[in-house]
Amino acid sequence: MNLPGLKLEKVLVLTGREAVKISVYSIIVGFVIFSIFLLLEGTNPIDAYKHIFSFAFDPSLGLVPTIHRAMFLLFATLAFILPLKAGLWNIGMEGQLYLGTVGAFAVAYAWGDLPSGVLIPLMLIAAGLFGAGYGALAGFLRGKLGVNEIVVTIMLNLVAYWLILFLIQGPWAGPTEFRSRELPASAIAPEIWEVPFTVFLVLAISVIIYFLSARSNIGYQIKTFGSSSSAAEHAGMNPLKISIFVMVVGGAIAGLSAYHMWAGNPTFYLIPAPQTYKAVGDFTYWGIMVGLICLLNPLAAIPMSIFVGALKEGTSAIVRRLRLPVGLDLLLLGTLFLTFVAFQFFHRYRIKRIRGKG
Amino acid sequence: MPGLTQKIRNIVSRTPRRRGRRIRKILLEGIKRGETILRTKGITKKFPGVVANNHIDFEIKAGEIHAVLGENGAGKTTLMNILFGILRPDKGEIYVRGRRVEFKSPLDAIDLGIGMVHQHRKLIPAHTALENIVLGHPKTGKIPNMRRAKEEVKELCRKYGFKIDLNARVWQLSAGEQQLVEILKALYRGAKLLILDEPTSVLTPLETEKFLKSLRIMAKGELAIIPFITHKLPEVLSVSDRVTILRRGKVVKRLKTRKATMKALAKHMVGREVLFRLKKPKVKMGKEVLRVENLSALSDRGILALKGVSFSIRGGEIFGIAGISGNGQHELAEALAGLRKAKGGKVIFRGKDITRASTLERLKMGMGYIPPERVGVGTIGGFSLVDNIAMNLYFDKEFSKRGLLDYKRIRKHTEKAISEFDVMAPNIDTKAAHLSGGNLQKLILARVIPRTPRLLIANLPTHGLDVGATEFVRNRLMACKKEGMGILLISEDLDEVLQMSDRITPIYDGKFVDIIPAKKARKESIGAMMAGAALKKSR
Repeated sequence: MNLPGLKLEKVLVLTGREAVKISVYSIIVGFVIFSIFLLLEGTNPIDAYKHIFSFAFDPSLGLVPTIHRAMFLLFATLAFILPLKAGLWNIGMEGQLYLGTVGAFAVAYAWGDLPSGVLIPLMLIAAGLFGAGYGALAGFLRGKLGVNEIVVTIMLNLVAYWLILFLIQGPWAGPTEFRSRELPASAIAPEIWEVPFTVFLVLAISVIIYFLSARSNIGYQIKTFGSSSSAAEHAGMNPLKISIFVMVVGGAIAGLSAYHMWAGNPTFYLIPAPQTYKAVGDFTYWGIMVGLICLLNPLAAIPMSIFVGALKEGTSAIVRRLRLPVGLDLLLLGTLFLTFVAFQFFHRYRIKRIRGKG
Repeated sequence: MPGLTQKIRNIVSRTPRRRGRRIRKILLEGIKRGETILRTKGITKKFPGVVANNHIDFEIKAGEIHAVLGENGAGKTTLMNILFGILRPDKGEIYVRGRRVEFKSPLDAIDLGIGMVHQHRKLIPAHTALENIVLGHPKTGKIPNMRRAKEEVKELCRKYGFKIDLNARVWQLSAGEQQLVEILKALYRGAKLLILDEPTSVLTPLETEKFLKSLRIMAKGELAIIPFITHKLPEVLSVSDRVTILRRGKVVKRLKTRKATMKALAKHMVGREVLFRLKKPKVKMGKEVLRVENLSALSDRGILALKGVSFSIRGGEIFGIAGISGNGQHELAEALAGLRKAKGGKVIFRGKDITRASTLERLKMGMGYIPPERVGVGTIGGFSLVDNIAMNLYFDKEFSKRGLLDYKRIRKHTEKAISEFDVMAPNIDTKAAHLSGGNLQKLILARVIPRTPRLLIANLPTHGLDVGATEFVRNRLMACKKEGMGILLISEDLDEVLQMSDRITPIYDGKFVDIIPAKKARKESIGAMMAGAALKKSR
């Protein structure tokens, strides 16, 4: 009698196509698992998924918020991707977002009467610089002293959280408690096709990061350093320089997202209450998931961000429409993340059938 | 459904341990010298794109040493893994003492009395030798009786003439002693057949001598030993009874060692004539390219590992450093390449003081470094050949303009370098992970040498390579010498250093023992100096 056996085999080199396949499978499995929760709630999963996407992409309902949220996520994803190409885990998008907020709002409050054409670029520059500086701290500590950048960036997130809270209660306090003053009208992001122009800014950054990685000299150095730091050192590359570079650029991108979030969304135009800005800060962590699912490809990150942004918008909608428990939207994203992490296994091993002989 | 219950019953009854035990009894009962202990028939194993083993018939008798020779990629590792139950053959049969067996896992092989000693030690450094030997033995149980175990292991040591301190921690033991621990571990489990993977590759000449002696003692009884070897042919000749030579997955020759010569063995392995004597070309020495004055450096652990060495190298000269790893030669190489800070002293390269220069500056000035670790340091497995070659090009203005890499030029350069250095790969976009050890070293040479460095630091350039690749590397280094490069050759292989170098220095405990011109160099005296003889005398 022949019993088929299964055996694990190590994968030496993962081709791009296989990697895409694995990512797609993981998403499908995530959906299937989430269906169980929907069924437990007495909802037809197919109906629910239909609702999710029809709401998220309906031009009169969810499309604009979806795009806004998706592009915010794209900022966070890019801020995560570039450092990881060099082997550095930037978990500090949240803190860099807050610091970018500080930079942008400081400029807006100080020179609020400048015309938009001057003020907005200044705000962007300040947001980028503040985020970059915050990222550079972690990059420097890692490159110079070998301090783990994950720990540093996470701790800096907390510091930045309290800094914002201090500012909106003190110097920048607005008429409502725990909110900042409103931004001057000239600071608001102009819209192109109903979405803030920052949407196109982040799309451009995606393309730039892609070419930086694929063609540029520093991109090659980043890739080499990320694959093997000792090989990079043997090739004369400077670990400190590369670590700082990726964290500066990553931090700057995360910093820019602050302007996109607060000045590009009519619900805000100010720094909102702590629970709200913390929720926005928490959303940056989904950039980690998107970045990993896309295998650090900044172009693939665009559709993936839109997909996740749509899920987030759409599930919040079905929670209301189908009267489902609050928090189900987070559960879906969480499930997807878990299945994705589980599927990482297939980046290292493949299951092979072997013939068993009786 | 009777089928399902039958299936389950089959799975349960075929658990490897029980089946193994049953057969082992038969195997162990009074095996006598000269009896066939293991035989394979038509072993075939295919991997995508290659037939790693092609109908291999092999046989070994109790009390025999039967060496398996072959270059990297000849299928040795596959065969070894099949014999030890790590891989299963696609076709073919294995017989142990005439009885057909099938290995589901190494556990089956161990139960049958087959032991394996891996090239890379699999011991726990913080445990004592005895603890490592006893660890995981089925007899040990939950609370090991260490005293009894020690007596048993001691008995084994007496039987085979091993001298080893069983209470020493493994990290304190030398490479040779660690190997003995591995062998003892297998013997303690009742192994009657030992598979040795590259047994002497990490041993010093003295240790090798001792080790070969104990092999002979072991094979006097009923033990059977299969050493798998890629290089170090003389040892095969001195110790084995029979040799089977593999090439490209097939057995190309079986012969009695008595009737073999080194030349013949190499010829069968490589498939063509191999010259063992390198001709040292007459080269007119050029200007001094490197001068090192009283250089010292710390090891990774912060201990002074290089204790003040001075020497100089001229263009067209090969300066050979012979020494056992861990005597400061790697710190020297890294200090010269700019990978390690100098603690004291001076390095002057082409007339400039570069003691504090970065690796990049040194590369740009014309230094080439061939690191001892080929995987992960010398090359990156996930990178294509192009990207690997680019590691020595990216900083050159010719290949990088306005911050962008000129991939067209880099690819062209790669094509040329790859064909010049005979790197076997389908194309230049192949990932380095697919290349064998010899090919990787060729890839590194193809990266470093076409940049025409003025000084080439070759750190263990042929370590672990097969005969063919070793010959290739040595010839290439000679060609570099002819072109007027200065070469610093660091090697553990004394024969290699003697053959290649113009001047030789044994290194011991971070110091050069003496610098000797090749003409006056004698193997025995340098070998003794490598082990610290001269230093002790002078003290």
